[in-house]
Amino acid sequence: MTFAEYLTRNYDNLLELGLEHLNLVLISMGIALAVGLPLGIVAHRNGFLRNPILAGAGFFLTLPSLALFSIFIPVLGIGAPPAIAALSLYALLPIVSNTVTGLASVSPAVVKASQGMGMTGFQRLLRVELPLAWPVILTGIRVSTQVVIGIAAIAALVGGPGLGTEIFRGLRSQGNASAPNLVYGGTLGVIVLALLLDAAFVLIRRLTTSRGIR
Amino acid sequence: MTTTETMAQPGPTAAGAKPMIELVGLTKRFPGTAEAAVDGLTLTVNEGEITVLVGPSGCGKTTSMELINRLIEPTSGQILIDGEDMTHTNPDELRRHIGYVIQETGLLPHRTIAQNVGTVPGLLGWDKARIAARVDELLEMVGMDPATYRGRYPKELSGGQRQRVGVARALAADPPVMLMDEPFGAIDPITRERLQNEFLRLQQQVRKTIIFVTHDIDEALKMGDRIAVLRNQSHIAQYDTPENLLTSPADDYVSDFIGAGASLKRLNLSRVRDIEMATDAPTASLSTPVAEVRAVLLASTWTSLLLLDATGRPARWVNSRDLARAEKGTALTELGLPVEAIVEPHATLADALDELIASNVGCTVVVDGTGAYQGVVDLETIMTVVRTVRDEYERFHLAQKLAQQPADGQVR
Ligand SMILES: Nc1ncnc2c1ncn2[C@@H]1O[C@H](COP(=O)(O)OP(=O)(O)O)[C@@H](O)[C@H]1O
Ligand SMILES: [Mg+2]
Repeated sequence: MTFAEYLTRNYDNLLELGLEHLNLVLISMGIALAVGLPLGIVAHRNGFLRNPILAGAGFFLTLPSLALFSIFIPVLGIGAPPAIAALSLYALLPIVSNTVTGLASVSPAVVKASQGMGMTGFQRLLRVELPLAWPVILTGIRVSTQVVIGIAAIAALVGGPGLGTEIFRGLRSQGNASAPNLVYGGTLGVIVLALLLDAAFVLIRRLTTSRGIR
Repeated sequence: MTTTETMAQPGPTAAGAKPMIELVGLTKRFPGTAEAAVDGLTLTVNEGEITVLVGPSGCGKTTSMELINRLIEPTSGQILIDGEDMTHTNPDELRRHIGYVIQETGLLPHRTIAQNVGTVPGLLGWDKARIAARVDELLEMVGMDPATYRGRYPKELSGGQRQRVGVARALAADPPVMLMDEPFGAIDPITRERLQNEFLRLQQQVRKTIIFVTHDIDEALKMGDRIAVLRNQSHIAQYDTPENLLTSPADDYVSDFIGAGASLKRLNLSRVRDIEMATDAPTASLSTPVAEVRAVLLASTWTSLLLLDATGRPARWVNSRDLARAEKGTALTELGLPVEAIVEPHATLADALDELIASNVGCTVVVDGTGAYQGVVDLETIMTVVRTVRDEYERFHLAQKLAQQPADGQVR
């Protein structure tokens, strides 16, 4: 069976796995954002906590991915949950560090003027600092997403969903004539997904960044 | 010592002036520093006046300013606005009622000019229509066409325009008090001059109580109704009117700070409308027959005559040689020199002198708001003002010396 034949026959299956993969990435990124953004804000505002937070978020990236996936199996069982937990941790560092960098890059004069006009700390964060830091934060999210799309393929090892299933099915059936097709098919799916999400980020960036800071 | 005594102590209190801001023993010591940045600053600022804090870089001007809107919390001391102690109110609420302009403007780069100007009204909960109307009114006030600029972003403006927007933004909610920290400090000299003049004109309308910080004594003399010359740690060396600073500096520090040319600086304080301008310059309408024009010039003590157009605006300077050529048929409009040095009555004598030096003719023409001829200012007029100041200054020093002599005698 040629690769083209494989693709036409397995198109539906690959699409389904691709959607599972996307789902896994989006859920993990959602959690990473919900945790990383506040952590970044705290790290920016509190000089004492800044380094511990950044070091903590950085620590997860140094762990081998298989190890990180496996750590959660005793607690969360197998399947999607340990995968999501591990991927969220991987996604954390770029989000946290870019949030800190972005907030730190806001001009002190702008911060001072906002304060001087009577904005509360929360108003200043929401209306001034986050919008101005947004392009940098978004870059962090984009980098995280790319990292997570790739690593998510390994989720199949802990019984997780996604395109990794196809890749590892191919790797396990070495010697079988169609095995390479499975590996290439899964990999192609990952690449296409990465390109699509990257294009989505270009669009999101345009739509969510003020013309004044573009 | 009672509070009132402390407050009354520094500075002149002009008759009728009502104190608006009173700083009482205001002190700020930053953690980990040996000296206080501001040490016991006591100052009364009158309602509707521009009070300038001037002093060398690092003397504590910005810190003093930020203590007032509580961007910095004082180590000790009191801030009274309209008799009310501000030290324990909600700082955010306080700041919404104090206009604030800084050198770097601090415009929000991601928001349009209209959104920037409407920031404080928005925080105060005004409705959209009222904010929009106010924004347009303010842009007009600072000389920016609302239709052109309201939708722009700060990066699409020049430095001078940004600072205009900064001023408009500070005025947005009509605060009684404005703090301005070197607002024109980062702007090129020509634009700065224009912004200063426009701001003074604006202040005539709005009559805010303004604290204006600068390190530039010339700007201080120009902008201030009252000037506090500061030395280190915001210690007041002298708190006085610009005239008194120039004619009777309290000590060497103040006279050194004012620098050379105090009498020339006086030219920045005198306005053309306040002096006796010459009204005897010969003038004639462009449509007057040449022979008659010549007769007017001959009858005067002047060597040149000012031709006015049909609406009374100055057109050209001509001398008798030009008129001789006119008699041979050259049109009056092509003879002599164009009138370049023109000022309005609110211009300072320094402006008039600048114009005079830049022009080819020995005097500056004064016109009213419609451009119609009023009179001329020549070098002689300006020199008279300079001499008066110098005389006053010398009289003051003589008086000081005389006052010291008996005291010396007692010691011996
Ligand atoms: N946040 C701060 N921490 C420590 N020292 C400060 C701080 N802000 C200002 N200073 C010091 O206080 C003094 C006055 O500064 P500042 O008010 O900015 O002066 P100016 O505005 O007159 O140039 C300076 O010696 C400056 O170094
Ligand atoms: Mg300063």
